[in-house]
Amino acid sequence: MIILRKLKQNMFFVMIFLAYAGMMLLKPSMGMASVKNSAYYIREMLIIMPVIFVLTALLDLWVPKEKIMHLLGKEAKGKGIFFSFVIGSISAGPIYAAFPMCVMLRKKGATIRNIIIILSSWAVIKVPMLLNEAKFLGSKFMVTRWLLTVMAIIIFSWVADRIIADEDLPKEKPLQTGITVNSKACMGCGLCVKNYPQLFEMDGKKATVKAHDAAQTNKEKLLAIMEACPVKAIEYAG
Amino acid sequence: MDVFTILIWVGTLIFLGISFAKDPHKTKRALRMAFAMGKGMAVSIFSIIFAIGLILTLLPPANIAAFAGKQSVAVATMASALLGTVTLVPAFIAFPLVGTLVDAGVGIIPSVAFLTTLTMVGIVTFSLEKREFGTKFAVIRNSLSFLFAILIAFAMGAVM
Repeated sequence: MIILRKLKQNMFFVMIFLAYAGMMLLKPSMGMASVKNSAYYIREMLIIMPVIFVLTALLDLWVPKEKIMHLLGKEAKGKGIFFSFVIGSISAGPIYAAFPMCVMLRKKGATIRNIIIILSSWAVIKVPMLLNEAKFLGSKFMVTRWLLTVMAIIIFSWVADRIIADEDLPKEKPLQTGITVNSKACMGCGLCVKNYPQLFEMDGKKATVKAHDAAQTNKEKLLAIMEACPVKAIEYAG
Repeated sequence: MDVFTILIWVGTLIFLGISFAKDPHKTKRALRMAFAMGKGMAVSIFSIIFAIGLILTLLPPANIAAFAGKQSVAVATMASALLGTVTLVPAFIAFPLVGTLVDAGVGIIPSVAFLTTLTMVGIVTFSLEKREFGTKFAVIRNSLSFLFAILIAFAMGAVM
């Protein structure tokens, strides 16, 4: 059961793994070439992802929600759009590097529209990229594309904001401490809530992690509860 | 490493230092959180990376350029936009490549369509985006980006 669930959660990974396995069997040279191609991207990822994770976590803990709402929330309007472009433009790394940052900003009250602006400008108009573009394609090309792209992003982020409701986004995950309850596995027995009510609560038929101060968490107690959970649905990374 | 990556590293390290001086406990918590985030995304990120490696072997960007060069503008634009969607190429490869495309007379429109979808629309990053922001968000953002990539391309063609 657990294995099947894990496989389903990581469908994409399984597909890629099978593709590589097949390639290695049928055409080892192509398989090796693919691994070699991937090497560059692994390097690119290692250069940027650790620092993005640390920065996201630091911002999450130090910048209060009101501040983010003030800069990127509903009330920010034009100012929010401007800051979103600035954040995306001074970024580095591929578009997926923007994901953890945007999830955190979203959690703190940034609008869907501003999240889309950050993601898009992170992808196509960040400054290091523009410098490179001017070098190879000329300044006129770069400036024209920049202007058109900014206009396009302003328009389609507005459209997307109209279509996507707040409820369409997944509920906030308790990233804070790394304690999570796998809601797919949890069968709602309430054992964890009974044993450690400061940490767990029932949300409908499933247990979830409460907002709490991680420094106060009794680790031994937590580990005992994880052990006691009949479906081993409590995960802890810390 | 470009200047911005270095700046982000330096800035974050300074931030980390100030944070530690102010509140070591909170800082440790932040580091634990960062580690948990990385652990949570690791499988997805490695899947994305190995998927890109695979796609680049099956569809080398140089072949895409050669192919697009032989088609009419409309076909070339659609084809390069679609091909840009399945691949993810770093800017320092993408720009020289697009430069060659333009020089070879492929035209600005397909080149820009390729460039924009290359970075903004992602089949390989879709599953991660879906997990982080929900299916609707991922579908809408990617399709709107694709559509506007083509519009940007045609507008570029008209202006340049």
